[in-house]
Amino acid sequence: MLKLTDVWVRYRMAREKPRTLQEYVIRRLRGGTVAYDELLVLRGVSLEVEKRETLGVIGPNGAGKSTLLKVIAGVIKPTGGTVDVRGRVAPLIGLGAGFDPDLTGLENTYLNASLLGRSRNEIEARLPAIVAFAELGEFIHSPLRTYSSGMVVRLAFAIATEVEPDILLIDEVLAVGDEHFRTKCEKRLIGFKDMGTTMVLVSHVMQEVKRLCDRVLWLDHGVPRMCGDPKSVIDAYLEATREAGDAGSGGGSAGRPT
Amino acid sequence: MIAAVAEVVEIVRRRELLRNLVTRDIKVRYKRSILGFIWVMLNPTLTMLVLSVVFAELFRVTLKDYTPYVLSGLVLWLFFAQSTSVALKAFVGNSALISTVALPKAVFPLSVVLSALVNLLLSSIPLFGLLAVLGLPVSRHVVLLPVAIVEVFIFACGVALTLSTVTVFFQDMTYVYDVLLLAWMYLTPIFYPASIIPGKFGWLVRMNPMIHYLNAFRACIYMESRTLGPDLWYGLVWAAIALAVGWALYHRYKDRIVYYV
Repeated sequence: MLKLTDVWVRYRMAREKPRTLQEYVIRRLRGGTVAYDELLVLRGVSLEVEKRETLGVIGPNGAGKSTLLKVIAGVIKPTGGTVDVRGRVAPLIGLGAGFDPDLTGLENTYLNASLLGRSRNEIEARLPAIVAFAELGEFIHSPLRTYSSGMVVRLAFAIATEVEPDILLIDEVLAVGDEHFRTKCEKRLIGFKDMGTTMVLVSHVMQEVKRLCDRVLWLDHGVPRMCGDPKSVIDAYLEATREAGDAGSGGGSAGRPT
Repeated sequence: MIAAVAEVVEIVRRRELLRNLVTRDIKVRYKRSILGFIWVMLNPTLTMLVLSVVFAELFRVTLKDYTPYVLSGLVLWLFFAQSTSVALKAFVGNSALISTVALPKAVFPLSVVLSALVNLLLSSIPLFGLLAVLGLPVSRHVVLLPVAIVEVFIFACGVALTLSTVTVFFQDMTYVYDVLLLAWMYLTPIFYPASIIPGKFGWLVRMNPMIHYLNAFRACIYMESRTLGPDLWYGLVWAAIALAVGWALYHRYKDRIVYYV
């Protein structure tokens, strides 16, 4: 179960941020102070996702979707509000992030599992299933740099789902694989629901969101614009985006032109 | 205070991750080279040979047993220099992981220092081999060697936490530290006898923590020393200071790291 109450994320970004010690010292010596811009990435987001429920999060780039996932994953501490996450959270670790090209698939599997908080023993029993799902066969003993990008995504997906998380977070990862892989992943995610897993899915592919999600949250500049059944939220979102497009970049708040 | 302890408990709970990160470092470093682990021992030994050829004549009067002097100096210095300069990039280099998975982030710099410690232990083997070849007796204080090593390890952890945290906010730290490390190396009697440092720079010697670790390390392995006790005490104090500073800095800024990497 997952519950966010009035979550705010403010992020102070220095205007002309001194990225180097040299700049910082020079600025300080001149007696200047650093001006900050306040960036409100999430403004009062409240939501509750039940067991077995899949929540889709949509919105234009910069709407705060990824930040929301980071808050749920515990990577970002919200500036205001409370986050109540019960159970084990597994983010689908971005491609390559938790993998080392010089290690074999097997070694990477252990490393990745321990990043997700699972021990070697726990993952060992799941190994055949992981290899089978990722369709790696003997490749599991080869270094990861010999893999195709599709093989890497499959392995990452197989690990994140085989660790049996209570809450699975997916940020646009499915878009990477081919059609066959996507279908397979979707099937797996639907099976997951039956096991009682909560899922939060961020995606720009509306078809996917419609197929997989029970409920959809539309975020806009950090503000929840609408939350409800997938079809009506997606339709409203697409409508707003179209209007914004028609009105030119100046009109509408649905989306920043990207 | 409680939060700082909670972080330590979390790291202990995630020790398997720490172990996996250390084995990854070690495996990756040696996987592609045919000589594998031999390299970690060969590297300081070969450098020692070069330095011996160059400097042995020069320092013969003041230093007997020049080769073990250089080798012990190199082994310990390389541990410190490599662990801290690699750990400096520990947060910046793992940005993708830090921004997706909730982890006690300190595992990244700590794993770097731990894998350097494994290298230190391995590269000490040729040092004892050299003593055997030269027929030099091992110091009767050798039982204190683990103490000396633990001290320099803690010191390196403190420096690593400090550097990795600072680098997140000031990326030119890596250039600053390169220069600093070079100066520090020349201020540490690795390949020259401590006695050639002019008296007026005595304060610099006393203020350099690495000198105490090096003295203690050498005294525990083969060298006659009358200052082993004080060196170990100074070393302990420096280790405590470094760890306190590093941990305080890391703890204060750890929640902001994700915004900057």
